[in-house]
Amino acid sequence: MNAPLVHSRPGLEVRNLCRSFGGLQATADVSFSVPFGTVTALVGPNGAGKTTLFNLVTGIVRPQSGEVFFDGERITGASAGRIAALGLIRTFQTARVFPGLTVLENAMVGGHRRVRTSPFAHMISLPSARREERALRERAEAMLDIVGLGRVRDTHAVELPMGSQKLLEVVRALMAAPRMLLLDEPAAGLNDSETADLAALLRAIRDTGVTVLVVEHNMALVMSVAEQVVVLEAGAVIACGDPDAVRADPRVIRAYLGAEADNQGGRP
Amino acid sequence: MTNFIQLLIGGVLTGCIYALIALGFSLIFRVTGVVNLAQGAFCILAALACASFEMQFGWSILAASLGAVAVAVAVGAVVGATSFVPGLTRLSNANMLMLTAGLLTVFEGAMQLIWGSQPYALEPFSGQEPLAFAGITVPTQGLWMLGITGVLVLALWVLLTRTRLGQALRACSENPTAARLMGVSVPRMTLFSFCLSALIAAIAGVVIAPATSLQFDSGRLFTVSGFIAAVIGGIASLPGAIVGGLVLGVVNTLATAYLSSLYSNAIALGLLLMVLVWRPSGLMAGGPARRQDVRDEARVWKRVHRLSPAAGRFAAVAALIGAVALPHVMPSEAILGSLVIVGILFVALIGLDLLMGWCGQVALGHAGFMAIGGYTAAGLAIDHQVSPLLGIFAGMGLSLVCALVLSVVTLRLRGLYLALATLSFGLLVTSFAVGLTELTGGPSGMVGIPSLEIAGWAFDTTESMYHLVLVLDVVLVVVSQGVMRSSFGRAIQAIRTDQMAAAALGVNVLRTKLVVFAVSAMLASLSGSLYAFNFHFLSPDMVDATRSLELVAMLVIGGEGTLIGPLLGGLLLTLLPTVFAPLASAKTLVSGLLLVGCFLWLPHGLYGLVVDGLNGIFRRFGETARPGAVSEEAAR
Ligand SMILES: Nc1ncnc2c1ncn2[C@@H]1O[C@H](COP(=O)(O)OP(=O)(O)O)[C@@H](O)[C@H]1O
Ligand SMILES: [Mg+2]
Repeated sequence: MNAPLVHSRPGLEVRNLCRSFGGLQATADVSFSVPFGTVTALVGPNGAGKTTLFNLVTGIVRPQSGEVFFDGERITGASAGRIAALGLIRTFQTARVFPGLTVLENAMVGGHRRVRTSPFAHMISLPSARREERALRERAEAMLDIVGLGRVRDTHAVELPMGSQKLLEVVRALMAAPRMLLLDEPAAGLNDSETADLAALLRAIRDTGVTVLVVEHNMALVMSVAEQVVVLEAGAVIACGDPDAVRADPRVIRAYLGAEADNQGGRP
Repeated sequence: MTNFIQLLIGGVLTGCIYALIALGFSLIFRVTGVVNLAQGAFCILAALACASFEMQFGWSILAASLGAVAVAVAVGAVVGATSFVPGLTRLSNANMLMLTAGLLTVFEGAMQLIWGSQPYALEPFSGQEPLAFAGITVPTQGLWMLGITGVLVLALWVLLTRTRLGQALRACSENPTAARLMGVSVPRMTLFSFCLSALIAAIAGVVIAPATSLQFDSGRLFTVSGFIAAVIGGIASLPGAIVGGLVLGVVNTLATAYLSSLYSNAIALGLLLMVLVWRPSGLMAGGPARRQDVRDEARVWKRVHRLSPAAGRFAAVAALIGAVALPHVMPSEAILGSLVIVGILFVALIGLDLLMGWCGQVALGHAGFMAIGGYTAAGLAIDHQVSPLLGIFAGMGLSLVCALVLSVVTLRLRGLYLALATLSFGLLVTSFAVGLTELTGGPSGMVGIPSLEIAGWAFDTTESMYHLVLVLDVVLVVVSQGVMRSSFGRAIQAIRTDQMAAAALGVNVLRTKLVVFAVSAMLASLSGSLYAFNFHFLSPDMVDATRSLELVAMLVIGGEGTLIGPLLGGLLLTLLPTVFAPLASAKTLVSGLLLVGCFLWLPHGLYGLVVDGLNGIFRRFGETARPGAVSEEAAR
């Protein structure tokens, strides 16, 4: 969380990324970059390929062609674990809290990658291990308090309502001390006041120096936090730039009106 | 040359049977994503039923065969409807695999009760006289096998491609959600595919019965061969099942003829591992790829059972006092002896719990590691006068090597492959234990194993073994508890249900699984060594696949992922036959039934019951047992 606030140094750079599933072109020649220290929003109708793009960037799905760079390093096709180790941490569209663990323990799993004491030290409960465990737990408790999950920290995580599970996932990702955070529809399932809290949280995250790339449908939220907006439709980037310019782009308006019409029929 | 052709024909015939079993695997796998380990048991059930109809009731071959197949399918329908289909909506894939392992145990136990443990062979359908042609002889039964395989494959193909039923079945395998929306009843289709594969396996069983002798537990061999065939061909591909079956049959037959039957298991396992390394999706990839980044929601842990600190402390102290005092209050040699066995098995169970309960990786061959530990330590002690402790370490080292080889290949892939690779590994170890007579004493076992002796202390009485095992168990529980409450432990539990989310947080999934598997194998090996030193005797059937399945049953009945739970399961399954003698012969059946029952109705096992009870009592006494007490306990 101590990356310097340098604008316009390319943090994440995606070049000509392609991936198809069967006959379906999920991402087609996608290129854009996310400068360090900014909040970038990735928008587009359902099925536009936003989640697929996240999967490609974080090593969960392999690209068929194209390249991904993070902080100048080529990470195309690297394993999910190695990409996470570089500080590129994501959340999932459908919350994936770990069942069988409490809320607090879920958050603490996020801190795993920075733990230094070995399991052997924990086996015999060495002071150093206990100290680190306590620090980790205090950090997790503090984070949970910030997002308002402090009260339920000892509940079984999967018993939380969906909105809280998504918040927990954000906390868990933050616990991993990301340099860049990829959030997949974090506001889905949140009510209005929770969404406002989330916007504040995103800005706070950005202010601590973490770069954010967020997939979001809520346009008000996007406009209020994002410095850059990338619009995807049918796997291709149709617009990219600052929020006001993108909002005025006729192709974006068309894509969105079309999507709105689809959603009327398709979504409960 | 004629010899070679002769062998080739034999291989193809065996391959037909493997192909039929593999077809059943692929069918169920495509519809449910689950491998049904009970598959091979339907073969044996039909074969044994056919034998009874023919020999006891004097039915004609045709009537007996049809009757036997009908029996197997009816049993399949009942088992499918009462356990497999309901399980699908409640259990994770790993637990479904264990459920089917439980079903295999139930079948073996029941068939042992009904037909005993002697082998059965049927009369060939068309007499003993083989066909001879240019110096090559083919048993007439072989023609039946070929013909029936051909007819079945054709019928299946017509069913799947030309009928509405087949369309519905395919819709379920390609996209269950869409199929449901289209009005297809997915549970009914699942049951149908279950019965269909039971039918195929039963027919295979009836046609193969005259060509080989079968007994109650031959089913597991068919399960393993069928599965290996399915994987070689591509588990989701129906043509692949046939190709895989033929390849495996030919390779196996040639290996048995030119090398030794000892190595045919090893070669099958080697073939499996090779395919997994070079072509993980099999020779003929097929079927739809399911989206990997979406998790099935309904099939995750519903609750966490944890003792409140007060209840935990109380239970730990009470259990310790009870365990120490027991030899004095109840000096029954028999019971004490049983407890020593439970304590020794508990060492292996802790390892198994770490691997299966906490880390979610299914392993069905842990007795194989027990065998390695037992034979290594005992063999070194007898033949080379190596000290027991050193022998134990040697066994653990050897187990570590085997575990690493197995896991490097399979852990990268889905848990399914680990489960089956370990199952066939267990069978491989057993075949070596039986075959390498000079080293192991063969089927009759290794005798004259000395008592355990550590630094001048001899553990040659039941009571001394009891105390040793008690100390070892307590140390292991405390140490494992410490690890599971650390960051490493939480990472293991994260991997249990969601490897991808864990990896996305920077957890090194592969390394973590490797470490857990290695530790678990070494604990099993340690347990096996102690077992040998305790009995002064070790035979292959003490550490065979039945033992592996029994360990799984103990784990599930006691409660997975609880550390202490397996001890309860071990106590129940070991002491029940000791205390209640009539149960002894039905032990396998009972443990299988309990396993299946626990999965369906008591997912957290005996431990869940005990914890709920203790927490309830402590809450009533107004003690500190509030729901939030979990974290304080973890902090200590
Ligand atoms: N693993 C996969 N297998 C098959 N199709 C996929 C897979 N991942 C994504 N898709 C398809 O790619 C398209 C884009 O999906 P997705 O990236 O989830 O869209 P978004 O997140 O923008 O709503 C969808 O049509 C989806 O069905
Ligand atoms: Mg999406």
